[in-house]
Amino acid sequence: MIWYIAKRIASMFATLFVVVLLTFLLMHSIPGGPFTAERRLPESVERALVKKYKLDAPLHVQFFDYVKGLLVFDLGPSFKYEGRSVNEFITEGFPLSSRLGLMSIVFTLFLALPLGSISAIKSGKWQDILIMFLATMGITIPSFVIATGLMYVFSFRLGWFPVFGVSSVKGYILPMIALSGYSLAFITRLMRSSLLEVMGQDYIRTARAKGLSETGIVLKHALRNALIPVVTILGPTLASLLTGSFVIEKIFALPGMGIHFVTSIANRDYTAIMGITIFYATILVAMVFIVDIFYVMIDPRIKLQ
Amino acid sequence: MLSRRKFMYSAAAILAVLTLFASCGAKKVAPVATGKIVFALQSEPDGYDPGITNNSFASPFMNQLFEGLVTYNALGEIVPGNAESWTISPDGKVYTFALRKNLKWSNGKPLTAKDYRYSLMRVLDPKTGARYADMLTVYVVGAEEYFGGKGPKESVGIKVINDYSLQITLKEPAPYYLGILAMWVYSPVNQQAVEASPERWTMDPATFISNGPFKVVSIKMGEGVVLQKNEFYWNADAVKLAEINFRFILEPATALSAFEKGEIDGFREVPASDIPRLRTGSDAFHILPAFGTTFYDVNTTKKPYSDPKVRRALALALDRDELIDNVLQAPSTPTIALVAPGYVFGGVDFTEAHKKYGFSSKASVEEAKKLLAEAGFPDGKGFPVLELSYYTNATVKKMVEAMQQMWEKNLNIKVKIKVQDWAIYYAGIQKLDYDIGAMGWGGDYLHPMTFLQLFTSSSTNNNAGYKNPEYDALVAKTINETDPAKAVELMHQVEDIFVRDLPVISLYSRSNTIMVAPYIKNWALTALANLYFKDAYIEKK
Repeated sequence: MIWYIAKRIASMFATLFVVVLLTFLLMHSIPGGPFTAERRLPESVERALVKKYKLDAPLHVQFFDYVKGLLVFDLGPSFKYEGRSVNEFITEGFPLSSRLGLMSIVFTLFLALPLGSISAIKSGKWQDILIMFLATMGITIPSFVIATGLMYVFSFRLGWFPVFGVSSVKGYILPMIALSGYSLAFITRLMRSSLLEVMGQDYIRTARAKGLSETGIVLKHALRNALIPVVTILGPTLASLLTGSFVIEKIFALPGMGIHFVTSIANRDYTAIMGITIFYATILVAMVFIVDIFYVMIDPRIKLQ
Repeated sequence: MLSRRKFMYSAAAILAVLTLFASCGAKKVAPVATGKIVFALQSEPDGYDPGITNNSFASPFMNQLFEGLVTYNALGEIVPGNAESWTISPDGKVYTFALRKNLKWSNGKPLTAKDYRYSLMRVLDPKTGARYADMLTVYVVGAEEYFGGKGPKESVGIKVINDYSLQITLKEPAPYYLGILAMWVYSPVNQQAVEASPERWTMDPATFISNGPFKVVSIKMGEGVVLQKNEFYWNADAVKLAEINFRFILEPATALSAFEKGEIDGFREVPASDIPRLRTGSDAFHILPAFGTTFYDVNTTKKPYSDPKVRRALALALDRDELIDNVLQAPSTPTIALVAPGYVFGGVDFTEAHKKYGFSSKASVEEAKKLLAEAGFPDGKGFPVLELSYYTNATVKKMVEAMQQMWEKNLNIKVKIKVQDWAIYYAGIQKLDYDIGAMGWGGDYLHPMTFLQLFTSSSTNNNAGYKNPEYDALVAKTINETDPAKAVELMHQVEDIFVRDLPVISLYSRSNTIMVAPYIKNWALTALANLYFKDAYIEKK
C-alpha cells in the first residue's frame, strides 16, 4: 500500500512537470505579450518593462528561474496587475470559488444520486422520462443561459435573491444551481445507466430469486457497485467545480478564481497563466489519486497494485 | 404520458424547494444611506499607482484619489488643482507653478514641491516601469536622455524653487502642455509610502497614501475598492460624499439588472442593446460626447490600399448614419475627419471646420464607384478580396458585418472578415500584417494634437504605415507655435492633409454612456472619460 502511494505521488510530480513545461512552451508560442495593452507603448518604455520583468533572458533561463520559484511555492509577480503576486490570485479567489464548488458538489450529489436511481428503477415510466428530459436539458443548455435565466426570474422578477455578489448567504444559491447544472445532469444520467447495468447482473437475479424486496436489492446490492463510475467522474468534476467557473463568476460578479482561467490568457499574463494552470493540475491529479483510494473502499474487487 | 396534474405537482415541488432556499439567508441590506454610493465598474484596472499605470480602467480611481497641479472642472476645462496659479515664459517653454500652501497627504503630512519633483523623477526611472513615461520624455528638457540612461538627473527640467514653487522646462513650447500636465502620470506620490514598499504600496489601505478628495479604505482583488472622503484634502469642505464603493461587475447586463433593482447607484458602459430602451425611458441614463474617434486602420503600404483613391472610395461607400443608428445604437457624430468635437478656441469648436470637407454621412455610392474606377477597378473588377480584421467584441462584430455588406453591395468587391483575440490582433496590426482593421483613439488631453500626432511617421500608434514628410513638418511646426490662434490654423492644415490622404477610414466621434441614479447630483463625466465625484452629493429620494 505504502509502496503504491509513493509510486503514485512520484508519477503525480512527473505529470505536473510535464504540465508546467508544456504550458510554458505553448504560452510563449502565442503571439502578443504581457505588455500588449490598449495601446502601443513607446519602445523605450517597453524595453524598460521587458528588463524589469526579466523577459529579455533566454527562454530556458526564464523556465528554470520559474521552476526554482515553484519549488518554494512562489508563483511569481503578475505581469499584468502591478504589485499583485500570482499566489494572491489563488489566496484571494480560491476560498470563494471552492466554497461555491463544494456547495455545488453537495447539491449535485444530493439530487443526482436519488434522481438517477429513481430514473433507473422506474425505467421507461413517466418519472424516468421527466428526469431524463430535464437531464438532457441540463447537459445541452450552456451555463450562461441557466445563470441568466435564474437571475432574470429569481433576482430580477421575483426579487428573492440579490442580482450579484455573495454579501449574504442568499447570494450563493443561484450561482450554486447554475454551476451545478451540467454536472447534475451528467451524473444523473451516469447514475441511471450505471444502476441499470448493475440491475441486469446475475447476482441481482440471484438476490431476486432469494425473494429479497426490490428496495432491499437496490440499497444493499446494486447501489454500491453502481456508484463506481460516479466516483470516477467525481474526481475531475470536483477539481473543475472547486477552481471556479469563468462564466458563473462573471455573470454573478463573484470575486473568485475562475475568472483568471480566461483573463490571464487574454492578458498574456505569463506568470498568472502558469500559476493558475499548475494549481488546477495539482488539484486534478490529487483528486484522481483520492478517487483511486476510494475505489478500494467501495469495491472489494479492486486491489491497489 | 405525463398527466397534466402530475406535471403540476412536480412543478410545485420544484418551486417549493427553491422557495425553501430563498427563505433562508440574511435580511436584505437597507437602501443606500445618505453620502454613500455604490458604483459599478466594468473591469479591474491593472494597477492603482498613478506613476505606473496607463490603463483606462484606472481612471475612476485616479480621478478621485489623486490631484495634480491642474485638474478639470465639470465642463472639462482645465482649472487650478494643487497649483493655485502658474506663469508661462514668453517663449512658452518655462512653466512656473505656485502650489497651494495648505496641501496635505491623506495621512496629514504636508505636501510640497519636493514631492512633485520626487514623483516625476520616479516616473523617469526606467526601473519604475511607468507606462506613460513618454508623457514626460517627449516634452520635458533632459527627460528623454535621463530615462534612456544617457543624461544626468540634474539636467532634467523639473526644478524645486522652494516648497511652494515648482518649475518645469520644456523642449518645445507645446501649446497643449497643460492638458498633458492634467494626466494622472503627473500626480504626486508619497515618497515614504512608495519607498517602504515600491511594488505594493497601493495594495494595502494602510500604505495607500493619496492626495485627492478621497482615500482608499478597503481594496479587494476582483471585488472592488472602497473610498472615503479624505479629510486632509485642501478643498475637503466642498466634498460631500462620505463613501464611494467601486464594485467590479464585469458583465454589463448584470450591472444593469443590479441598478434597476437598486443594488447599485450607477455604472459605466451601458449594454448597447439596452440603449434604445433606456434613452426614452430612464432618467438615470446619460449619453455624453467623448473626445474619441472610431476609425479603421488601412494598410497604406499594401496594394491597392496604397492608392488614396481606393481609400477614399472605401470611406465614401459606407453609410455612417446606418452604422450609428442601427448597429451602434448610441448617438455619435459621423465623420470622415480625425479630430473629435470638444476643443473650443475663441468660442468656435475645432470641428466646425469639418464642414468644408463637404462630407455626407450617407454613402456616396456614385462618387465612390468613380474613384474606384479611376484607381483601375471599374465596377470592382480585379479588386483583390479585402480582408477586414477585428478583435473579439460583440459591437465591433456587428459593425464589421454591416461594413462588409455595404462594401460588397456598393462597390461590388469581395470582403472577408477575420477575427482574433486582441493581443494577436494588435500584434498583427503593428506588423502591418492586415488590409483594414478596427481601431480608434480616445484622446489623452483635450486638444486636437492628441489625434493629429497619431499619424506622423515616428508615432508609435501610427499603424497605417502612413508616412508623409509634409504632414510631419506641419505637426512639428504646430508643437513649436506659441500663439494659440496660429496653432489652430496650423492644425486645420494638418487635418486637411489627413482628409486628403485618408490614412485611416474614420466612422464617427464617440460618446460615453453612464447610468447614475437621479438622486446623485453634481457628478461629472468629461469628454476625456474622467469621472469626478468630488462635488457630488445625494438628494433625498
